[in-house]
Amino acid sequence: MAIDPANPVPPVFTRSAGPDQVPPHVPPELIRSAGITFGPEFLAAPHRFMAQLHETHPPLFYDVNPFQNAWQAIKHEDALFILRHADIFSNEGATPFPRDPADYFYFIPIEIDPPEHRKYRNVVEPMFSPQGVLKLEETMRQLANELIDAFIAKGECDFTRAFGRPFPVTIFLRLMGLPLDMTDTFVDWAVALLHSNDRTIMAETLAKIGAYLKQAIAEKKAHPDEGVISRIAHAAPDGIPLSEKEIFGFVIFLFIGGLDTVFATLNNIWLWLANNPERRAEMLADPGNIHAQVEELLRVHSVTFSGRTVARDVELRGAQLKAGDKITCILPACNFDPDVFPNPTEVDFHRPKKIILAFTVGVHSCMGAHLARLEVKIALQEWLKRIPAFTLQPDAEIVYRPGGVIGPEWLPLQWPVSPA
Amino acid sequence: MATVTYIEADGTRHHADIASGENVMRGAVINDIEGIVGECGGGLACATCHCYVDQDWFEQVGGPASQDEADMLESAAAELRPTSRLSCQIVVSDDLDGLVVHLPTHQF
Repeated sequence: MAIDPANPVPPVFTRSAGPDQVPPHVPPELIRSAGITFGPEFLAAPHRFMAQLHETHPPLFYDVNPFQNAWQAIKHEDALFILRHADIFSNEGATPFPRDPADYFYFIPIEIDPPEHRKYRNVVEPMFSPQGVLKLEETMRQLANELIDAFIAKGECDFTRAFGRPFPVTIFLRLMGLPLDMTDTFVDWAVALLHSNDRTIMAETLAKIGAYLKQAIAEKKAHPDEGVISRIAHAAPDGIPLSEKEIFGFVIFLFIGGLDTVFATLNNIWLWLANNPERRAEMLADPGNIHAQVEELLRVHSVTFSGRTVARDVELRGAQLKAGDKITCILPACNFDPDVFPNPTEVDFHRPKKIILAFTVGVHSCMGAHLARLEVKIALQEWLKRIPAFTLQPDAEIVYRPGGVIGPEWLPLQWPVSPA
Repeated sequence: MATVTYIEADGTRHHADIASGENVMRGAVINDIEGIVGECGGGLACATCHCYVDQDWFEQVGGPASQDEADMLESAAAELRPTSRLSCQIVVSDDLDGLVVHLPTHQF
């Protein structure tokens, strides 16, 4: 079913959830309830849990849960196959955020399959390419240091609020051309949308975000600037201006995708750094290996998932998948596949370079991947330069919030302060 | 500026004018040459812009530019040959005007 991105209509598919709604073609021996993103075992240590899936679960299983029953792929090889065959594993209807059927829109480009998909990517690609993001490097370094200036003398901070969130969110809002004084509001919206696990709250929040962004788009239409929203609002691929629905769906998707992911990634990495002083020393002693360090830290601290809708019947690992089934690639688990990354939970900055799934792969691979890599690199370099030795505060309790972007909710850190 | 010729596995030839400083992967993507995918966008993270540099050009273009490129080539889906490169790592300059690259049967 080809869709027309300029004239969105709500997809007709049934959401199956819970044990009463398992389709008959699913073999009983493949049915599990792993509790991914919300179960107590998952939330106790999400990355360890996902690494252990390779021992505790079949390589492809069917997960039954209160939100969305779906096939779950944990093998690196299977994820590459699924994510690179958009004709079999479609993105239409694969994004879970509830929208008003009377004012429906597609999330662009993630819900648009090839060939239309490429025209949207081309609109913003120059700004997100490896070369494009390098233009932001100096302002990123400056921002990192300004944030650190605000708390370094205190000898302690909650990393998540003091650095992990404001660093990527400020960079993103500047890039989009949105006002920085809205940072806290935007973050609250993103948290409600991504972590509430409540479809009523999600829908209300999405409506609020939508109302704000419609106004922002109107303003950029009237007053063009260098930001991403303005670029999208004025884009005319092949000479045809994007429609209101396309502009809105594109902007709101970047907004949702850009706010929370690097934040969670940084929180995960800094928790690991706090607990591994000898590895911090290793990184500091080998600054020329920073790109491999970033890649390896992204591998073991990936934060998200790729969901698809099966577009036509297909066999995978001996199981029959039927058109309309949902399938999720558990990207963090795929990054722990021992067949591709021997001794997978070991952080090894000298592994042979392989495809990691932190940013997914295929036509829908993350547009912000190069921005994210640069942010992680600069955050590591600037932080470790100024605060090379730090630990968790002794009473710190690490808590993970349920939801589709995985990272600790708080990260209280401390470090020695030399007397003034 | 250089004109680069891409020859698909079935023999179809495409010519693209590519600005100096752009890379051979981008030249294909911008010009809708489908034998190159380049899904990661040129970040040495995917191995879907694999090409075989024409024998006559290989000495000038050279082998993998880094250990990362050599490692990542191992993840390429099609057969590796002595002239295999990731085309995102071949930066176009005037000196490469006339460059010929052959494309593999598949990128994944």
